[in-house]
Amino acid sequence: MIPAIAVDNLTKRYGKFTALENVNLTLNEHRIYGLLGRNGAGKTTLMRILTAQEFATSGSVAVFGKAPYENEAVLSRVCFIKESQVYPQHLRVRHALGAAALVYPNWDERFARSLLEDFQLPADRLVKKLSRGMLSALGIIIGLASRAPLTFFDEPYLGLDAVARQLFYDRLLTDFSEHPRTVVLSTHLIDEVSALIEHVLLIDRGRIVLDDEVEAVRGQLLTVSGASRAVDEFAAAGTELHRTTLNGTARVTLRGAFVPADHDRARSLGLRVEAESLQELVVRLTASPRRPADAETAGDSPEKEILR
Amino acid sequence: MSRVLAVVRMQLLNWPINIAWPWGILFSSFLINYAIQSALVRQTVGESTTGGLLSIYTVVFVAYLISVSQDLPFALGLGVSRRTFHLASGLMLTTEALLYGTLLYLFALIERATDGFGVELAFFGLPFMSTSNPLLQILVYTVPFLLFGVLGFAVGLVFKRWGANGVLTLSVAAILAIGAAVYLITRAERWRAVGGWFVDQSTVGLFIGWPLLLVVPLAALSHLLIRRVTV
Repeated sequence: MIPAIAVDNLTKRYGKFTALENVNLTLNEHRIYGLLGRNGAGKTTLMRILTAQEFATSGSVAVFGKAPYENEAVLSRVCFIKESQVYPQHLRVRHALGAAALVYPNWDERFARSLLEDFQLPADRLVKKLSRGMLSALGIIIGLASRAPLTFFDEPYLGLDAVARQLFYDRLLTDFSEHPRTVVLSTHLIDEVSALIEHVLLIDRGRIVLDDEVEAVRGQLLTVSGASRAVDEFAAAGTELHRTTLNGTARVTLRGAFVPADHDRARSLGLRVEAESLQELVVRLTASPRRPADAETAGDSPEKEILR
Repeated sequence: MSRVLAVVRMQLLNWPINIAWPWGILFSSFLINYAIQSALVRQTVGESTTGGLLSIYTVVFVAYLISVSQDLPFALGLGVSRRTFHLASGLMLTTEALLYGTLLYLFALIERATDGFGVELAFFGLPFMSTSNPLLQILVYTVPFLLFGVLGFAVGLVFKRWGANGVLTLSVAAILAIGAAVYLITRAERWRAVGGWFVDQSTVGLFIGWPLLLVVPLAALSHLLIRRVTV
């Protein structure tokens, strides 16, 4: 089966700044991917290259098996809701929806109208007069109603309140189950989307540092706390991501292929075991202030195993 | 082709705006000229020729310049290819030019029939633009629209790719080129010959032939520029 996206050794440089470095990815059809990472990690650059809005310095990308650049057959199947999308000044909300209706073959006008009501977006308002939240809602409506086989949402929730964000997650899941497609959701609100996404792609300083199923990732992470000696003994079972110590006790977050037996072993050592959230893992993997080049020279650093 | 038409329709979604700017500005220019001329004609000055017609061509230049900075990123964001956007813009410009050219021709007919709207005003029918053939006359009004639109599109692409510095560099280059030409003509004492060349050109050559000769390379240049545009 042809993957929805195949990225091969992709590098993007802006002058001396490397936005993406040797990225290799395969995204399969009919799944929801979470593209996570800090500001400036390279998420938007990656999506812009995948939608032919930007050019790679080296390497290649294929969308539905073909290079997307100037490829109408591919581009008409891709919808990219960019946080910084430019809308022509004189367009009203209904015009922006009308434009999407003209170019997306699967556009569902009824769905768009019901979403317009859900998000209480005034159809006759000029797009430039919309608040940040309303602008995000407009993007969400276009992204959902276009029913493009490959849909990118780049931080689609900016300015949206919790209720509207939940509405977005609900509508996305419902529509996804009726009309399966490949969705790439780039976001900072990891905890909010962790129930939604099936596969996580974590990008840090232009490199992919995590590419795994969310279920698999969840089991990989464990935090144990208790007497330092016992913690040290157990910590050998995984890669240490984070440690705090206090008066002979320690609390350590580990990453490894943990099974229930490991939990039992920790308990038998008198340790307290906590499951960790996806957000915790993302923070642990990307919070390091060190540059990737330094991490490689630091022989036994916990990062080495993480970087692929 | 259906996708090109879809993008044309996309750009015409709020079509009253597309019509209102050029014709609104032309109409206000007309009103001012009409008011001045009706004051002058009472002082028996006689027929007046105005340059107000240039305003509508300028609006088309600006419209295509802006289109590159607003419509292009919007269209590309909706999965339209650069080539399709360029073709759609070209198709829209050609249609607009023919429509506007025909309308200007009709207004010129009205102007002549009403003796310059009753005040001997030459706003639409300018003496140096007149030909005896109606079809050629329409093209005399039409083709300059193509030139202004294509030029606006190309400058817009330069701005999109290289920003204000790109446009400023282009402007400096143009000023230097014109300055150099003026210097060379002056030094060779050939101004009479240059003036003579323009006088010798027929209306058809000046408003159809030469503009078309410029439109083709400009459109080709835009084709190259748009290929590497990022949004």
